Amino acid sequence: MNSNNSIMVSKLNKEFSFSVKKVSSSWLKNLFTSEKRTIKAVSDVSFEVKEGERIAFIGPNGAGKSTTIKMLTGILFPSSGEVNVLGFNPSKDRKKLAYKIGTVFGQRSQLLPNLPLTDSFEFFGVMYDMTNEEIKKRTNELVDLFDLGSFIDQPVRKLSLGQRMRAEVAVSLIHRPRVIFLDEPTIGLDIVAKKSLRDLLLKINEEEKVTIFLTSHDVSDIESICNRTIIINNGTVVKDLPTTELSKSFLTKKNIDLIPKDSFDNFPILPNGMEYSLKEKNKLTVMVDINTISIQESIKKLLDLFETEDIDIYNTGLESIIRHIYESNSSSK
Amino acid sequence: MKAIRLASKILKTLTKDRMHYPERLIVDTLSVVARFGVLIILYSYVFKINGGIINNTTFVVAAWSMFFYFSFMILGLRNISKVIMQDVKTGNVEVLFSKPISYIFYRFWWQIGLGLYSFVVITIVGGLALYLAIGFPSTFTSSIFIFSVPFIFLGGVILSLILYGIVGLLAFWIQDINPVFWIVDKAVMILGGSYLPVALFPLLMYKIALYSPFGASQFLTHSVYESWQSNWYELFSVQFLWIVILGFTLYFMFRGAKKKVSVNGG
Repeated sequence: MNSNNSIMVSKLNKEFSFSVKKVSSSWLKNLFTSEKRTIKAVSDVSFEVKEGERIAFIGPNGAGKSTTIKMLTGILFPSSGEVNVLGFNPSKDRKKLAYKIGTVFGQRSQLLPNLPLTDSFEFFGVMYDMTNEEIKKRTNELVDLFDLGSFIDQPVRKLSLGQRMRAEVAVSLIHRPRVIFLDEPTIGLDIVAKKSLRDLLLKINEEEKVTIFLTSHDVSDIESICNRTIIINNGTVVKDLPTTELSKSFLTKKNIDLIPKDSFDNFPILPNGMEYSLKEKNKLTVMVDINTISIQESIKKLLDLFETEDIDIYNTGLESIIRHIYESNSSSK
Repeated sequence: MKAIRLASKILKTLTKDRMHYPERLIVDTLSVVARFGVLIILYSYVFKINGGIINNTTFVVAAWSMFFYFSFMILGLRNISKVIMQDVKTGNVEVLFSKPISYIFYRFWWQIGLGLYSFVVITIVGGLALYLAIGFPSTFTSSIFIFSVPFIFLGGVILSLILYGIVGLLAFWIQDINPVFWIVDKAVMILGGSYLPVALFPLLMYKIALYSPFGASQFLTHSVYESWQSNWYELFSVQFLWIVILGFTLYFMFRGAKKKVSVNGG
């Protein structure tokens, strides 16, 4: 593994097998001869992550991203392929690796619910074999960095979701991990809390050079935190590029919104390079590929086809781009 | 050294947690008073109408044997099965698997920590109350009793954690362990002497209590009897043997369980 790399994954595969009962067979027959089925959750996934990079690892539900993260952290064993995180093989050196990485699972708390937050810092400090002095020093640093001072003495269960998530991330950094894996860290947070958490993640990346490996369904997380995006679908990597390139690769796509004078009743077939992305009576959206048809010409066509009250032209947002990638990959399968 | 420091931190943290919520202690106390109190009143009557002695056992001995059982149960070690099942069902297991700890040992210490505060308080207060009410059996002053009780208690803790830990680990294969838990738990309750003091067991049941792991996890209840003076080493050996056999079973099951971890949505 290159010394600058934090993570190296090569031809990683994970299969889950389970038994399926035949509806037509009796329960006794099913008990002894149930059919074994295998699902390939991750298929030939390869990528490398450099130290200090901020990676968005995204995909639709069931794409294989959680399975991949769990293999990177040593929770799941790969069926085949090679994984190396900070020089360790996660499935063989899970405990050694755990000292070097942090994990935050947005839907699961690791904090001690009934006790003040300080107890969670001490508890995890001991778990990571830090001395009492180190724990105290690091806790003070994180309390300052994450602005936890106003609620550090409150029981965790009395914190708001935003405060709790900040605390979750802070506690996961107690042992100065070199890589932090975040699985949907902003889920359920309001926009202010989301922004605050994103800013903090950028800060720890900048100040402590922590590599960030994030999964999220929130496009704003990806746009504001990550400098590189890996998209996985059906267990395989379908895109791996800088986040800014993701938008650029779709710069040739424009959206046109039309508002009807009365209402749209029929939706005629559009010329090449134009396709409907929304068809409603009071609004329609058309995506135009300007390599095939110019904007001027496409507007002319649309105005010929529809009686229009208002019109709006804009670039495709990252959310639409990602949806487009998911959908085109699914339909090609 | 690190393992001892972590274990001590778990115990301290959970004791602090329990002390913050004294209502939990009240609930535990009421539960013991209700169950143990009813049985003690019942057996005092049974012994009275049988002339004070049944199977060469006095009421005082039977009452202390049952108190040992209930006191041990306050530790709540049996709940480790359900905690492991919850970890598997909710996926919390992945949070713990991402830490530099041994999941099973962590859960063992956690379970002890959850019950330790109630156990210490209720055992001291309850023991004192029982002493004031009926006094001590003569066996309490024997050197064998004083020497062996801490060890048979420790053996009981280890064997209970292993036994219920095995039931909990089944959740990695069958998800819902409740039917298995119910069978094991009832076997421990009956063979441990919760309903009927072990001295009053019919011979076959007594043998099962002696040689099964369910009864062996509750040998503390035997330590108050006269027979303990002569058979303590035999019971120690049986308990030790079960710890070794089931300890290996737990070890191999856990190795298999790690490979059975699955992830929601993955």
